[in-house]
Amino acid sequence: MTAGSIGNLALIVCIILNIYLIFSLTTRVRKKNFKDLKKIKFINNSIFILLLVSFLTLIYCFVISDFANVAVYQNSHTTKPLLYKISGAWGNHEGSMVLFVLILSLFSFLFSNSKVNEELKIYTIFFQSILILIFLIFLIFTSNPFDQIDPKPLQGLGLTPILQDPLLVIHPPFLYFGYVGFSLIFSFALAGLVTNRFNSLWSKVSNFWILLPWSSLTIGIGLGSFWAYYELGWGGYWFWDPVENASLMPWLAATALLHSNIVTLKKDKLYSWTALLSIFTFVMSLLGTFLVRSGVLNSVHAFANDPYRGVYILSIILLITFFSLVIFIIKDPKKSSITNYSFFQRDNFILINNYFLIFFLSVVLVGTVYPIILEAVLGQSISVGPVYYNTILTPFLFVFLFFMAHGPLLNWNKDKNIKLKNIKIFLPISLILSSIIIFVFLDYKNIILFLALIFSIYLIVSVIFDWIFQKKLNLNLGRLFSHLGFGLLIFSIFINAYSSKEINSAMKVGDEVKTQGFIIKFQGINKIKKDNYEEIFGNFLVSKDNKQVQLTPSIRKYNQPVQFTSETSIKSNFITDYYFAINLSEFEKDKIMVRFYYKPFMLWIWFSVLLIAFGGIYQTFRARNEY
Amino acid sequence: MNIKYRIIILTVTLLIIFALFLKVLNSNKIYQPNQMIGKKIPEFILEDLFDKKIKISSKELLDKDFVVINIWASWCIPCRVEHPLLMNLKKNNQISIIGINYKDERINAKNFLKTYGNPYQLVGVDSNGEVSIQLGAYGVPETYVLNKGKIIFKNIGPINEDFVTKILQLKK
Repeated sequence: MTAGSIGNLALIVCIILNIYLIFSLTTRVRKKNFKDLKKIKFINNSIFILLLVSFLTLIYCFVISDFANVAVYQNSHTTKPLLYKISGAWGNHEGSMVLFVLILSLFSFLFSNSKVNEELKIYTIFFQSILILIFLIFLIFTSNPFDQIDPKPLQGLGLTPILQDPLLVIHPPFLYFGYVGFSLIFSFALAGLVTNRFNSLWSKVSNFWILLPWSSLTIGIGLGSFWAYYELGWGGYWFWDPVENASLMPWLAATALLHSNIVTLKKDKLYSWTALLSIFTFVMSLLGTFLVRSGVLNSVHAFANDPYRGVYILSIILLITFFSLVIFIIKDPKKSSITNYSFFQRDNFILINNYFLIFFLSVVLVGTVYPIILEAVLGQSISVGPVYYNTILTPFLFVFLFFMAHGPLLNWNKDKNIKLKNIKIFLPISLILSSIIIFVFLDYKNIILFLALIFSIYLIVSVIFDWIFQKKLNLNLGRLFSHLGFGLLIFSIFINAYSSKEINSAMKVGDEVKTQGFIIKFQGINKIKKDNYEEIFGNFLVSKDNKQVQLTPSIRKYNQPVQFTSETSIKSNFITDYYFAINLSEFEKDKIMVRFYYKPFMLWIWFSVLLIAFGGIYQTFRARNEY
Repeated sequence: MNIKYRIIILTVTLLIIFALFLKVLNSNKIYQPNQMIGKKIPEFILEDLFDKKIKISSKELLDKDFVVINIWASWCIPCRVEHPLLMNLKKNNQISIIGINYKDERINAKNFLKTYGNPYQLVGVDSNGEVSIQLGAYGVPETYVLNKGKIIFKNIGPINEDFVTKILQLKK
């Protein structure tokens, strides 16, 4: 028996067990028998373990280069380093769908072994196992990772070189853990609605199940962006590519959910809104899956191109959306206490920013989906690029930052001690600080940059103020970290956007280019040879104001499949990145095309994302200990 | 609003979304742009925008030392941004540019050139965008520099002063 057939068998047993699980859960629900969950847990755990076995056998097939397996044949090669053989397992459509189902089941497994009210638990596992069943059917019948070819090919087709990168080994798992992880809060919300147990206890438990995938998704998005920055060689880190947007949309929805759930927990209101967002977050994840997996997008990221798969994914996503929203409509938890409303109240500020997040989400959604639909229906092409997003999002971002800075300084309840007088301290400080930075350090007099810096510094100052002066017993460190990270992120993004520099030129060894205050000297060339590629390094010396940086970008020629990639060379100090990329040019054999970027504050962008994620992780563990 | 109506509205909305995306899935004709730098241009014959009898053929471009191809469309806003630079290239530097009009209405394209001036020696009509995509275009505008039918340089997006200097360098 080959490894592939073990994996395949495991998947089939999974489907049978899953159907059995759904039946036994249904009978329990009918009989209202919520005691003694041993058997349920056992089946649920077995499903998880079987899926894990299946996933591991797939990895094993990749490691031993079993080319009788179609997925391995199409995405691997014997000369690939071991690490990329392993990551090849989830670098393709079939493998990534196994990972998808595995994570669905992992969350079901974790949840079934946690302490929750039995009735809620049964219903949650019920909804979760329906999701698992749906995606298992999709996996086995339309994208089976264990399909065989006969006769067995001697060699595989190889993995796309730009995907051969250590970061891309961990980027998809983080991303999937994030957005598939939102399935649990989705099932849990449906369970809460059906059982009429959508109350503060629900909120308390769900805090953990929102924060856990949220933190992971934050890291996943950050990793993807970091990869794009150093691998693609265009000096950018976020391109508003539809696939990037697909991961940003669930993040925005989940961020809104995270905050509205806090209001639900503290103020015993916004139940409907929280329930709706729980459903909506997962629907956004599914939409992302659809966009990436169905082949409607044609970008570097698009993988599958089978229209049947597309129709199947589309149908199941809409069915899931339909049934979850029907449950929401019928069981809508209408609890509202609009008593003692006051504008200057923390929950009100959170709600306002919730609306802003939904607005940002809509902008991204329209920008991503509208061009695709327009092209298909009317045959017209429009290009939606960074200009669209930047123009629409930027002004509202400032208001968002303001509310974000102020919300945490306000009280949950209408109170005489409104701390809004802090504005008298903050506003001048941030005004002076950002003015100094803009006018003295940078020679920029741009109103957008000015506003961005003011508001982000305002947020940062408010967090620090909160940290130092609010001597509360339960200081909310997670929130402080994340908010500080967000303030820093916006600050760094804007400085970066407004003071980056770019130099393009064609050079040969010995050439020197002087422009924009930089002197670039092309000193020499080295060559090395590796198993799966040849690499040519160029040595460049960049000088600016007596500072010298040595950079060695390279061009790799991969042999399987034959493809050239350009490897960037980045030297980073605390403040600025010096970024160098080279390309071959066919017409001038003796010259190479060089691209040099001066990118300030890049390190800070990555640091801020880490800070945001760290806040989430910290808070996750706190939430874990609370219930 | 009672529950029944809400569910009906939901159903209808989702059905519409389903229909739209189904259409998207079935009309997946977006061609993948490919890396063409350093390669020979694909073979094509295009009709001229102003005179249907004139044909622009890739064969004629093969023996020229220096050709600039600019892909543009009247509906494309960045094309308007780069337009004055193209006009300058023609006027001050006597560079002949061949335009490829991408997925456009003839009448709109003609009006565009009437309004903003015509920097092109010839304009090929690429109404379904196929030639542009074979050239490796990601979108409009894009500008290519050819040497004996080989693409030696390419600019994605509107051209700027740097690109103009680059073109002048290349011409020497």
